[in-house]
Amino acid sequence: MVLFFLRLVASLAHIALVFALAPLLLGLVTKLRARLLGRRGPPLLQPYRNLRRLLHKTTLVPDTATDLYPIWPFVSFTAIAVAAMLVPGFCLGLLTSDLSDFITLVGLLALARGAAMLAGLESGFGFGGAAAAREALFSVFAEAALLVVLVSFVLIAHSPTVDGIAAAFRTGHIGISVSLGFALAAMLAVALTETGRIPTDNPSGHLELAMVHEAMLLEYSGRFLLLFEYAAMLRLMVWMCLIGTVFFPFGMARAGEILSWPGGLVLWAGKLGVMAVALSLFEIGTAKMRVFRVPEFLGVAMLLGVLAGVFLFVAARIGA
Amino acid sequence: MHLRLDALSVLFLCILLPQIVASALAERRGPVTFWVFAAAMVLTLLAGDAFTLIFGFELMSAASWLLVLRGDARPATLYAGIAMFSAACLIPAVFLPASSLAFMLVLLGAGAKAGLAPLHSWLPRAHPAPPAGVSALMSGGMVKVSLYILIRYGFIEFGAAAQPWWGSVLIVAGAASVLIGALRAMLEVELKTMLACSTVEHVGLIAVGLGIALRAKAMGNLDLASLALQGALLCAVAHGLFKPMLFLGAGAVKNATGTTSLDWLGGLMRGMPRLGMLMLVGAAGMAALPLGPGFAPEFLLLHAVIRAAGTGGILARIGFTALLAGLGLSAALALGAVVRLIGIGFLGRPRSLHAAAAEDAKRGTLAGMGLLAVLCVPVALLPGVVLGMLEPVIALLAPNSAPAPLSYAPLSLGILFALTAGAAVLGLRRFAVRGTREVAAWTGGFGSPPAWLPFGDPLTQPSATGFAEPVRRAIARGLLAPKGVDPAEAYLLLPLSKVSLRLTRVAEHIRRSTMRQRLAFVFGALVMFLLALGLGEGG
Repeated sequence: MVLFFLRLVASLAHIALVFALAPLLLGLVTKLRARLLGRRGPPLLQPYRNLRRLLHKTTLVPDTATDLYPIWPFVSFTAIAVAAMLVPGFCLGLLTSDLSDFITLVGLLALARGAAMLAGLESGFGFGGAAAAREALFSVFAEAALLVVLVSFVLIAHSPTVDGIAAAFRTGHIGISVSLGFALAAMLAVALTETGRIPTDNPSGHLELAMVHEAMLLEYSGRFLLLFEYAAMLRLMVWMCLIGTVFFPFGMARAGEILSWPGGLVLWAGKLGVMAVALSLFEIGTAKMRVFRVPEFLGVAMLLGVLAGVFLFVAARIGA
Repeated sequence: MHLRLDALSVLFLCILLPQIVASALAERRGPVTFWVFAAAMVLTLLAGDAFTLIFGFELMSAASWLLVLRGDARPATLYAGIAMFSAACLIPAVFLPASSLAFMLVLLGAGAKAGLAPLHSWLPRAHPAPPAGVSALMSGGMVKVSLYILIRYGFIEFGAAAQPWWGSVLIVAGAASVLIGALRAMLEVELKTMLACSTVEHVGLIAVGLGIALRAKAMGNLDLASLALQGALLCAVAHGLFKPMLFLGAGAVKNATGTTSLDWLGGLMRGMPRLGMLMLVGAAGMAALPLGPGFAPEFLLLHAVIRAAGTGGILARIGFTALLAGLGLSAALALGAVVRLIGIGFLGRPRSLHAAAAEDAKRGTLAGMGLLAVLCVPVALLPGVVLGMLEPVIALLAPNSAPAPLSYAPLSLGILFALTAGAAVLGLRRFAVRGTREVAAWTGGFGSPPAWLPFGDPLTQPSATGFAEPVRRAIARGLLAPKGVDPAEAYLLLPLSKVSLRLTRVAEHIRRSTMRQRLAFVFGALVMFLLALGLGEGG
C-alpha cells in the first residue's frame, strides 16, 4: 500500500516535472547555442513567454481547412504527452512502467508524427505538403533504426520496456559494450531527426523551402499552435529522458525508496544539462544537410543498429 | 463431400462473415456470381476432405474471375493464369503424402492466390477491377481463405513432417511482400490499387508470423511459436475488418466523384464527413497506429521477430535483425501511405469539380462500413480478450504451448490519452482566448486562381504523385525495377511472357509448314526412331 502510494507520488512528480521543465530545457539549449555563437540569445524563460503569448492570441482557421483542423494538434500533443509519461525521468519503477514498452513508444511517436503530417496537408497549400512528404521520407529510416536498436537492448536486458532496460543496465554488470556504443550513435541520429535539430532540420530556420517540422505548422495559430509548440518541447524532453535513462541509468532513484529521490533528481537535472550542452555544441559544429542526404545519414544509423545486434551475436558465439 | 468444423475454420468463418454482410449491404443484392463467390469461400472453409476443399477453392477462383472480368477485362487474363497455376500446384499437393515437396506445392499454390511475393504482382491489378463490394471481399476474404489452406496444410495436415526451413522460406517470401507492398502502397496514385498493395503488405506480415511459428514449432520452441501465431492470426482478424472497410469507402468515393485517382480528389471530408470518419478508423488500422485495430498484431509480430533474433544460429539471428529493420521501414511507409490517402484525398482543397461536389455515400455503404468499424473496437481496445478467443486455434496449431498474455494494454493507454486530452481541452478553455476566426489561407505566393476554379488552382496544391516523390527518389529506385515497375513483374512475368511468345511463334511456324516440310518431319522422325531402336537393340 505504502509502496503503491510512493509510486503514485513519484509518477505524479515525474509528470509534473517533465511538463513544467520542457520549455526550460528548450530555452537552455537555445541560450547555450546563442552563447556559443557569440550572441547573447533570448532569456532562458523565453519559451514560457512564447506559450503565454500564444494563449492570448486569436486562433485563425484557414477557410480551406476541413472540420478536422482542430483535431490534429490535440492528437499530436496527446501522443507526445503520453510518451512523456511513459519514459522514466529521475526514477525507475513508475506506475506507468509496465506500459512503457519500447514498441508502444515507437507507435506513439509515429502517431504524433502522422497527426503533424496531416496538419501540414490540412489546408492544401504547397509548403505543408512538401514538408509532410519529407517527414514521411525521414521517418521511414528513423523508425527502422529505432526498431533495430531494440534487438540489442532486449538481448542484453531481457526486457522490452524502457523501465526494464534501464533497470537491467543500472546494475552495472553489463559494462561498456561495443554494441551499446553503436546503439547510442543510432539513437542519437534518430533523436536529432525526430526533434528537428541540425543537421536534418533547423529549428531557427525561416526559409519555408528548407523547413520540415515548422513548415507543417505554418497554417496554425493561437492555441492550436501552442499545442504543437508545447509538443515539440515535450518531444525534446522525451528524447533526452529516453537516452539518459537507457544509456546512463546509473544512480537513478527508485520510486519505492523516497530517500533516493533527491539524488535521482539532482542526477537527472545534471544529465539534462550535460545533454543540452552536448546538443548545442554539436549544432554549432555542424551544417544543415540537403534533404536527400538525410536518408543516407539515417541509413548509417540503421546499419549501426544492425551492427550492434551482429556484435552481440558474435560475442555470444565466441563466448566473450 | 464431407463438411467439418474445427477451431481454425470457425476463426476464419468469423473473419469472413462480417465482410460478406458488409459487402452485401454495400452492393445491394449483388449479382448471382457474388453469392456463388461468397458461398464457395464458406464451402472451402467448411471442407472436411481434400476434394471438397479443392472444389470450393476452384469455384471461388472461377466466380471471382467472372467478377473481375465484368469489372475490367485487361487483368482478367493474368488473373485466370494465376488461378490455373495455383490449381495446378494445389491439386497434386493435397493428395500427396506429407513431405517437403507437398508443402512447397501448397505454398506455391496458396501463396500465389494470397499474393505472396514473388507471385503478388497480379493482385494490385485484379483486386481493384470489380465493384467495391467484391474488391472488399477479395482483399479481405479470398486472401484469408488462401492463407487458411496454407495454415491447415502447413501446421495440421503436414505438421508431423514439418522442417524448420519451410518456415524460413515463408518468412523470406513474407518479408519481400511486406517491403514491396508497403513501398508500392506509398507510390500508387489510384486509391484502390494502393489499398491492394497494402493488402500485399499485410499478407506478408501474416506470412512472416506464420513462418516464424512454423520454424519455431519445428525447432521445438513452442513459446515463440504461439507468440508468432497470436500475431499472425490477430493480424488476419484486424486486416479482415479494416481493409474491406477501406475498399467499400473507395467504392463510395468512386461513386461520388467518378474517379479513384488521388490526384483528382481532395477535400472530401467536407462533402462526405461520415465516410471520411469511417475511413479514418480504417486508415488508423492500416497504419498500425496505437489505439487503432492494427497496432496489437504489429506489436506481437515485432516482439516475435525480436525473440526469434535471440535464438538459433548466427546467420538466422542476423537475418531476423535485418527483418526487423525491414518491418520498421514498411511500418513507416504504411504510415506515409495512410497520411497520403487521408491528407491528399480527404483533407485540403478539392482538385476537381467532381471532388468539390461529392455527396456522402449511400446508406448501405455507410451501414456496411459502420458494422466493420464497430467490430474494430474490441480488436483495438480489448486485444487481450480477442487473443483469449484465439487460444483454441493456437492449441490446435501448436499443441502444448502456453500463449503468454499480451503486454500491450490499450485500455490503460486509452485512459492516459483521455486524461491528457481532457486536461488540454480544459486548460485551453480556462486560460486561452476562446473562439476562432476564419481567414483566407495563405496561398504560398501563388496568384489568385481564375474564376472557374472556385476552390483554387489544383496545381498549387501538393499532389499524390508529388507527395510520394521523395520516397520514390530515395528508396524506390533501389528496390523496384527501372521506371518503378514491380520487380516481380519485370524479372518474372515479363521474361515468362517473352518465352511464351517465342514458343507460340515456333508452334505457329510448325503449324504453317508446307506439305513437303511436314513429310520431311515425319521422315526425319521415323529415321530417328529407327536409329534409336537399332542402337538400343545393338547395345
